[in-house]
Amino acid sequence: MNKILKFFDRHLAYIMIIPAIILILLFSILPIVESLKYAFFDFQLNDQKKSGIYMSSNYNIPLAEETFEYIDYYLEIEESAVQKSETSQYIIQLRGDMKNYQQEINSILGNKSGIVETNEENIAAIKKINTDIYSALGKLYEKDDVFNSEEDMLAVASELDTSIIDSNFIGLDNFKQILRDTRVVYTLTVTLIFTVISVFFELVLGLLLALIMNKAMKGRGLIRTISLIPWAIPTSVAALMWAYLYNGSSGIVANVFSTIGIIDQPTDLLLTAKAAIGAIITADVWKTTPYMALLLLAGLQVIPNSLYESSSLDGANKLKQFKHITLPLLKPSIFVALLFRTLDAFRVFDLIWVLTGGGPGGTTESISIYAYKVMFAQTRFGYGSAMVLIMAIAVGIISYAYIKILDVKIIGE
Amino acid sequence: MVNKKAEKLFAAIIVLYLLIIVFPFIWVGLTSFKPESEIWGSEALKVFSNNSTIEHYQALFKANILNSLKNSFIISSITTIYVTLVASFCAYAIARLKFRGKNILLSVILATSMFPQMIVIGPIYNAFVKLGWTNSYFITLPYSMITLPVAIFILVTHFAKVPKEMEESASIDGASKMRTFIKIILPLALPGIFTSAIITFIGVWNEFLLSLTLNSDSNYHTATVAISFLRGQFQIFWGQVTAATIVVTIPTLIIVILFQKQIISGLTSGAVKE
Repeated sequence: MNKILKFFDRHLAYIMIIPAIILILLFSILPIVESLKYAFFDFQLNDQKKSGIYMSSNYNIPLAEETFEYIDYYLEIEESAVQKSETSQYIIQLRGDMKNYQQEINSILGNKSGIVETNEENIAAIKKINTDIYSALGKLYEKDDVFNSEEDMLAVASELDTSIIDSNFIGLDNFKQILRDTRVVYTLTVTLIFTVISVFFELVLGLLLALIMNKAMKGRGLIRTISLIPWAIPTSVAALMWAYLYNGSSGIVANVFSTIGIIDQPTDLLLTAKAAIGAIITADVWKTTPYMALLLLAGLQVIPNSLYESSSLDGANKLKQFKHITLPLLKPSIFVALLFRTLDAFRVFDLIWVLTGGGPGGTTESISIYAYKVMFAQTRFGYGSAMVLIMAIAVGIISYAYIKILDVKIIGE
Repeated sequence: MVNKKAEKLFAAIIVLYLLIIVFPFIWVGLTSFKPESEIWGSEALKVFSNNSTIEHYQALFKANILNSLKNSFIISSITTIYVTLVASFCAYAIARLKFRGKNILLSVILATSMFPQMIVIGPIYNAFVKLGWTNSYFITLPYSMITLPVAIFILVTHFAKVPKEMEESASIDGASKMRTFIKIILPLALPGIFTSAIITFIGVWNEFLLSLTLNSDSNYHTATVAISFLRGQFQIFWGQVTAATIVVTIPTLIIVILFQKQIISGLTSGAVKE
């Protein structure tokens, strides 16, 4: 018992981090690696021959066996249908040949069963056998005789090739396609416009409000509680609420906007591209500015008052104080708030999904929405993953740029 | 030293700001009591209805909203309990114990919190389909991906605040490290653990993407997803939508009012160096 305790004590640190590491491995690292893999394959769930990740070519033996059984079954039908003994002789010979062909394919694959991995050379050999089979069967129908099921037979024979599963490894093709995909360019532009404008307003308004809140004497508790509400409610709920306020016939915000002349008619707000993007940004600014203000307020409150007092004794005015005391000391708070808000805005999904669904006509789709539609509506996981990978790279660039520009250390405090 | 004029201006700005925040809730709340006929047409912008009704709330009981609230509550609770437990252990080790690869672990945790969730959704969906885990409460497992990093960061800052002398005197008394952690450190860090639990709960309660993808069966919808489906393709019953919005907002509102201090400390613990 004592030994176990001692062992526990000596390795306590590792024992304590193991559960977290397992969770991170299973639900973050592994899926990220898997997603990386998807990006290099033409992986589509709705296409039977592409619904997996096949590095090399495969051959589906059970499916081939079934096809050969069908061919034999139709040959038997033809055998009883034909009139001339010459033709029936040929059919008997064909039935034997089919067995041999099947044997040949199996021996090429090393007499295995199930779905067998194989190389290009073998696949080429099997394809040749398949053409031989097809032409041998074709010759049967050139004969002048009575046949029963020519169409069925040829259809079944052409199915032979479906047993061959080509590798769907396509290298960088997904990425090349992304470069040519105008919808990627458009959705990326929408995402960037959304990110830059909304984060800019959130930062400026948030900073302004934080400075004012810092001065406020009365009702701080109430101000904080109310400020938390937009952050705390689910984005989908906020989006739905704004969808109601924005709707063309009974939405009060849409009506007010059209009365003051921001838009021509209330219905324009969600039915024209520019206005809809503006509406999405407004909803996001409403939801996130208070959160930004709270973060910055917390940063302001740790700046010691004595700094302001001594500098005002030195004759510095408010503007100078802001520039030389507040801003530099607030930099770490601004950095964290700005970085995480930018990354959040860049992957915006819920808000747009519920508020406009990407409409009108796909004009408010963010890159996340497009990637999601590619993956789960078209089930093209390969292409979708490549798109998400591009997003991840952009996230990396954004983070790096912030760290460089604001010159902040993240870890190691 | 702030002069009176500036003070009045600031007060006016704050009041305006608070009004802008609460206005949507009030307007939506008022609509939820209007009969459907008054939500559309000429009376749509009237503040109060003459024929107030609770029919939209009654309709919600028939719809799946209540069941989805139950799902949200179960899923958020399970996730909060196990994530807080796992994060407490990990955060304590990071804050107080020595081990190799600590910086690597910290970087990995930070990186996973920055990656777009969209990157894991495809593989997780495919794995869930293979395992038969879609439309179940197994969804709590991948929720660790979005909540664990935040919980660990909040807890690391709280464990780091516990005075070192507490551990030192315990070890002089001959208590094992494990015992010291459970008997001395955990009680002292309880406010921090509570904070991280609340932030985790809200995070899961509000999550949309994983829930939309993994639990597509309406019996397993969480509230966030169920409410998004009220916005039908062809017709929208704003009465029901607004009533549902109010119902789903209430739990969040209660949490915010009760735990305002903890939430703010949790949100700002990473952002502010103390």
